[in-house]
Amino acid sequence: MTCELMERPRAGVINPIFTCQPAGAQFVSIGIKDCIGIVHGGQGCVMFVRLIFSQHFKESFELASSSVHEDGAVFGACGRVEQAVDVLLMRYPHVKVVPIISTCSTEVIGDDIDGVVTKLNNGLLKEKYPGREVHLIPIHTPSFVGSMITGYDVAMRDIVAYFAKKTAPSGKLNVFTGWVNPGDVTAIKHLLAAMGIEATVLFEIEAFDAPMMPSGNHVAHGETTIADIEGTANAVGTMALSRYEGGKAAAYLEKEFGLPTIIGPTPIGIRNTDTFLAHLRTLTGKPIPETLVRERGVAIDALTDLTHMFFADKRVAIYGNPDLVIGLAEFCIDLEMQPALLLLGDDNTNYQKDPRIKALKENVDWDMEIVTNADFWELEDRVKNKGLKLDLILGHSKGRFISIDYNIPMVRVGFPTYDRAGMFRHPVVGYAGAIWLAEQMANALFADMEYKHVREWSLNMW
Amino acid sequence: MPYHLFKCSECIPERKEHAVIKGPGETLADALPLGYLNTIPGTISERGCAYCGAKHVIGTPMKDVIHISHGPVGCTYDTWQTKRYISDNDNFQIKYTFATDMKEKHIVFGAEKMLKQNIIEAFTAMPHIKHMTIYQTCASALIGDDINAVAQEVMEEMPDVDIFVCNSPGFGGPSQSGGHHKINIAWINQKVGTFEPKITSDYVINYVGEYNIQGDQVVMDDYFKRMGIQVLSTFTGNGGYDDLRAMHRAHLNVLECARSAEYICNELRKRYGTPRLDIDGFGFGPLGASLRKVALFFGIEDRAKQIIAEETARWKPELDWYAARLEGKKVCLWPGGSKLWHWAHVIHDEMKVDVVSVYTKFGHQGDMEKGIARCEEGALAIDDPNELEGLEAMDMVQPDIIFTGKRPGEVAKKVRVPYLNAHAYHNGPWKGWEGWVRFARDVYNAVYSPILELAKRDISKDEIPTDQGFVTRRMLSDVNLPEEVRNSTELRPYTGEFDNLACYKDKTYPLMEKRPAPGAAA
Repeated sequence: MTCELMERPRAGVINPIFTCQPAGAQFVSIGIKDCIGIVHGGQGCVMFVRLIFSQHFKESFELASSSVHEDGAVFGACGRVEQAVDVLLMRYPHVKVVPIISTCSTEVIGDDIDGVVTKLNNGLLKEKYPGREVHLIPIHTPSFVGSMITGYDVAMRDIVAYFAKKTAPSGKLNVFTGWVNPGDVTAIKHLLAAMGIEATVLFEIEAFDAPMMPSGNHVAHGETTIADIEGTANAVGTMALSRYEGGKAAAYLEKEFGLPTIIGPTPIGIRNTDTFLAHLRTLTGKPIPETLVRERGVAIDALTDLTHMFFADKRVAIYGNPDLVIGLAEFCIDLEMQPALLLLGDDNTNYQKDPRIKALKENVDWDMEIVTNADFWELEDRVKNKGLKLDLILGHSKGRFISIDYNIPMVRVGFPTYDRAGMFRHPVVGYAGAIWLAEQMANALFADMEYKHVREWSLNMW
Repeated sequence: MPYHLFKCSECIPERKEHAVIKGPGETLADALPLGYLNTIPGTISERGCAYCGAKHVIGTPMKDVIHISHGPVGCTYDTWQTKRYISDNDNFQIKYTFATDMKEKHIVFGAEKMLKQNIIEAFTAMPHIKHMTIYQTCASALIGDDINAVAQEVMEEMPDVDIFVCNSPGFGGPSQSGGHHKINIAWINQKVGTFEPKITSDYVINYVGEYNIQGDQVVMDDYFKRMGIQVLSTFTGNGGYDDLRAMHRAHLNVLECARSAEYICNELRKRYGTPRLDIDGFGFGPLGASLRKVALFFGIEDRAKQIIAEETARWKPELDWYAARLEGKKVCLWPGGSKLWHWAHVIHDEMKVDVVSVYTKFGHQGDMEKGIARCEEGALAIDDPNELEGLEAMDMVQPDIIFTGKRPGEVAKKVRVPYLNAHAYHNGPWKGWEGWVRFARDVYNAVYSPILELAKRDISKDEIPTDQGFVTRRMLSDVNLPEEVRNSTELRPYTGEFDNLACYKDKTYPLMEKRPAPGAAA
């Protein structure tokens, strides 16, 4: 009856849970208005990331490649970046922000993207684009370091550090969401509005859920402006919802501008949402209003219908982005479930020091394993060969065949969730997220009971 | 045939020679777009890389193989579960993907040792799989790991396994096409001729350049078997590793996708004298002609004729039902490579749609030549299109539907042009007679979607008919049809099953006797 933290014991990966750093940087890039990132590397590093964004959001996002071919790989490819910037600026006159995102290939050959940026700033931009506001921001995201999670964290920090500028206090609060969905941003903004808090939300990605308009608009894109990012230095404080996706940017602002800063926990579930509101109150002095007491009551009411009757002692495996996984595990425990296995898909050594993981290790009274640097085989091998019994899986679509082949019901959550419709539209954070998650889990269990004819009659009356 | 310079590309005039409009009375000699040249950086091209061309397109459809990429995890993750190449091996090749997970220390100190460890681990985890393909990536190519040597070492230590090495890093060439070439050549150099197959028929073929998208290979395999032909191997959809090692024993290579797999056919011809026969599995006419060609080679044309007669009788009334309703609809045929010419003429001839634009992401000039020759006059042909050019082209040619990839499909959606997935299909398979009807059905369902009709309505300006609770597809498609077509008792919409592959599962085929076959190399 212990909670054990371990690393994947094998050298290799069988079915990866995460992709690599440049993907995280690209996710940050599409959140910024008038911004098109250039990924410096082979074309696949962009083409497939754009594909997976489109699989998840059912939208297309603009990202460019420096299209490094053999000659660049042999002789250096900085010239490809120069050309890419020029071509991009010529053809996209609205573009102001251009992150230059490195990859494994261009880091290995040692292309100096910082030097290229200096050269372009002093040359091309002055000569060909005088008077045009253009920000070229080098982002170092070699694929052999970290994961898509650290890629997001690093890119966000570098972009915030590039723009943040101390002027006059804005009275606004910085709210860094981490790698979330449009539905989450809506839910967070709703809570902020209910508290009467003016906030700068990084990143404004509600528009990732883009409409089909009679006018035929064509681009889904984030709406965070340069002014928004510049203004982060003038905020009353920073509330980062995620420790591993945005934590670095929050820490930067704290150190550089002395902003009061709270990092995490991610407001998944009732308890963490309560904590989030308490943190908001601390940072802004605003009280938690009656409307939220009521909203919370609706959520508590919904959960009470489910928790001890259906969820108690259900064994669940959870994988995906670290703050999401930990938040879901905490919520499941409040729902009387037993998280049996948590999989975190990279080798970040900070997981060991995470107070939430420490708390799990100290307090869990059933067998639980937390695997870092994990792949899907850590889950499948346990189910297939080592007798792990599960009632439910929570995670993204790349793990779908474990659910399918071993007949374990699964709720799609996180990124990417391409094999279920519209998941990006719904929140997992806030009280609304707690209801959505709990009811998704319950309905997955119910459908499974009916499909397998196991106590399906019990749903006649509850 | 004038070159066409898009407005959005006026600032990169070198793009001019990448697009042409097929003018009246003009021939390919007047102009042909450039192809397979280095991509202009920053254009937001749709091209992938040579790694994905090798691993994702050609390597991974092999069904009984551990597919492992030697590099950081992203190449593996990103190309995993983005295709619909199924197999009769419980889709092992779709479900499992392997990465050596190269980290910074490996970049610095080399990753050969951990590659070996990876190989052993993977075979241990999958004891029923005895074959492996190792794909080089940008990172492992640049640090210079000798993958071949590691593979050789493991094969010596583990005599029951066989390993194929594909050195095709992402930066190798302008697009995925470079990877197609590399893996073709690597396979014939390393593996063909190293396994002796069981020959069960007098007529033996390799079916090459077929990737079993949604079951295409299963459908085609059935026709060959009904003619008494043994399909020794399929390169590579639903293909078995050992079967493909035995490619040298076929009498004929039947080539489907000449863009991605002509290389191995040419090498097989050169090294083993096996003839190459190019076919089209799409469309009643081309498919029938293709089966006849294969049958003619073996002197069994009557067997092909019988299949053609049976299948045509069964499915023609259904194809024609759709053709009557799709006549004159404008299509942008914007696939990756070969479907540009596989489909250009036959969707016009048999579904009655007009191809108003063709493009290719990774095709070469030869593909464009065939595509342009086969599409309608006035059509706009584009090589290596980019995001803005695609939008400008759609604005210019005003298509009713576009056949392209998933992500560009999302771009088209926003300008209210429905898309069908040209790579992975909507509700395929689309090969075979029934498949072609399924394709026509998918086109019809997209073009006459009541939601598409609503998408074009601006409720702030347009009149809103308040007496309408619904619109059926036929209320939209049949409005201008002549009475005799609308109420024809001959024609009917598709009558097949949602899963039309189930019937092939345990099908048996009679043994067929050999007949004199002057053309056969047997």
